[in-house]
Amino acid sequence: MTLGTTIWIVIFAVSALVFFGIAAIISVYGTKDLRNLLRESKKRE
Amino acid sequence: MNFHTIDWIILVAYLSVTVFIGIRAKKYVENMEGYFVAGRRVRAALGTATLIATEIGIVTFMYMGELGYVTGFSCFFLGIVGLIAYLIIGKTGFVVSALRRLKVITIPEFYELRFGRGVRLLGGIILFLGGVLNMGIFLKFDGIFLTETIGLGEDLLVVVMIIMLLVVVSYTVLGGMFSVVITDFMQFVVLAIGMVVATVATLMHVGFTDIANTVVQQFGEAGVNPIVNERFGWPFILWMMVASVATSALWQPAASKSLSSESPEVGRKVFLYTGLTLAGRYMIPMFWGVAALAMFGNSVSPSLAMPRLLGTVVPSGFLGLMIAGMLAASMSTYSAYMLAWSSVATRDIIGPIRKQELSEKTSIFLTRIIATAIGIFLLVFGLLYEIPATAFQYIALTGAMYSAGAFGCVAAGLYWKKANKVGAFSSLILGAVAPILFLVLEKSKDALPQWSHFLIDVNISGVLSFVLAAGGMILGSLLTQTSHPPVAIATFEQEAA
Repeated sequence: MTLGTTIWIVIFAVSALVFFGIAAIISVYGTKDLRNLLRESKKRE
Repeated sequence: MNFHTIDWIILVAYLSVTVFIGIRAKKYVENMEGYFVAGRRVRAALGTATLIATEIGIVTFMYMGELGYVTGFSCFFLGIVGLIAYLIIGKTGFVVSALRRLKVITIPEFYELRFGRGVRLLGGIILFLGGVLNMGIFLKFDGIFLTETIGLGEDLLVVVMIIMLLVVVSYTVLGGMFSVVITDFMQFVVLAIGMVVATVATLMHVGFTDIANTVVQQFGEAGVNPIVNERFGWPFILWMMVASVATSALWQPAASKSLSSESPEVGRKVFLYTGLTLAGRYMIPMFWGVAALAMFGNSVSPSLAMPRLLGTVVPSGFLGLMIAGMLAASMSTYSAYMLAWSSVATRDIIGPIRKQELSEKTSIFLTRIIATAIGIFLLVFGLLYEIPATAFQYIALTGAMYSAGAFGCVAAGLYWKKANKVGAFSSLILGAVAPILFLVLEKSKDALPQWSHFLIDVNISGVLSFVLAAGGMILGSLLTQTSHPPVAIATFEQEAA
């Protein structure tokens, strides 16, 4: 492995982990947001 | 055939549930705001999930994978550039907060507020044409991905394209933005799981060392340095730096997610959180493309390599889940794009041409008809048109057709008091010229004199679109301040306060 390939692999690994981490958090909080959105919409009916 | 019974069960079950929920969402559409921007009640986490789901589909995986296969690691810089663009918007609220405050539904509505109805009509036409052309290759690339990963063979490409189209049109047309938001969220979750599975499966078959060695052997320095890579170079890097900010803030399918948010502050946060994931979601499919190069060598067609890799390395059962995730991502992209372009056609082209205002019911009806027509266009265009350059560059250039002029109009309209109607017209027209010339001239490049070949360089064409649009806005406005005095809008006072 050259220095260039090592740098990109490290950047890729960090970026992928950040993506998966945020995806997990958003999935949990997004479920709550979606419930609220549908509840409020039902109330307006 | 890579697919087994369990994969089919997962895929069919998922598609059925998605269509059912999407159509059920119709009951929440109580008026026009409900249809187009989900009643502007979307909060940060949900908004972020739907924006991410909109921005990734099979076609994005395909063109990112293709780039990884033909350029090695050097294309990873696009993830860094995009990350910076989103973080700038997310931290400053540049453009998106002001637009949300003005409560517009489409970007051309802002043109009318600031520059008059004529600019809205022209902006709407350019946005619609650029947007639909941009989307033109989606269905074909998605069809190639599915037939290759599932192992159906090229003969079934058209059948796969038609089935996908029917599924997406049905729930987008009926449910509007509520369907998009609900199904986007589901699709985001399934997609994220699919991406984890695909990445782990790839790494179990091809290690980092093999991939790195392949990049060095195949490309040398050009595999890690975008400046020396002949497909990129400085013109492409400069183009991407400007285009990333412009398209992030003003691309109608993405902007409509920000405009659907509960408040300008939430709209800004949606961009911030989405931006943090951007480098990862660009680089992951690019990495699959580079891994495909390490696994198959350079003898495979660039668009087929990445899906072939996934069809080979992902185990049965997980393959069904991954395809469901990919299909999910694509469906959310289609639905958001179809809704965005059909709402632009209804509200910004048909609306301004008619003397009477369209009723809410007529607006929604027309939007549904146009969304269906766009679907049929996708099928025909996808089957007949052969794209020049890489798919990524085609997408970026058709995007520039609209976003270059729009960036000039909206950024100057919001932050430069001297921006006027003439500047806006000039910016929109000049911003579209270079991409249109490229798409037309590229088909007859052998007949062109040597001096004009810069016009068929996709990267120079992209940079030119932004330079000309900015020049048109600045010169057009400054030269006509007396004959066409600028019209102020409330946002200036609000921003100052």
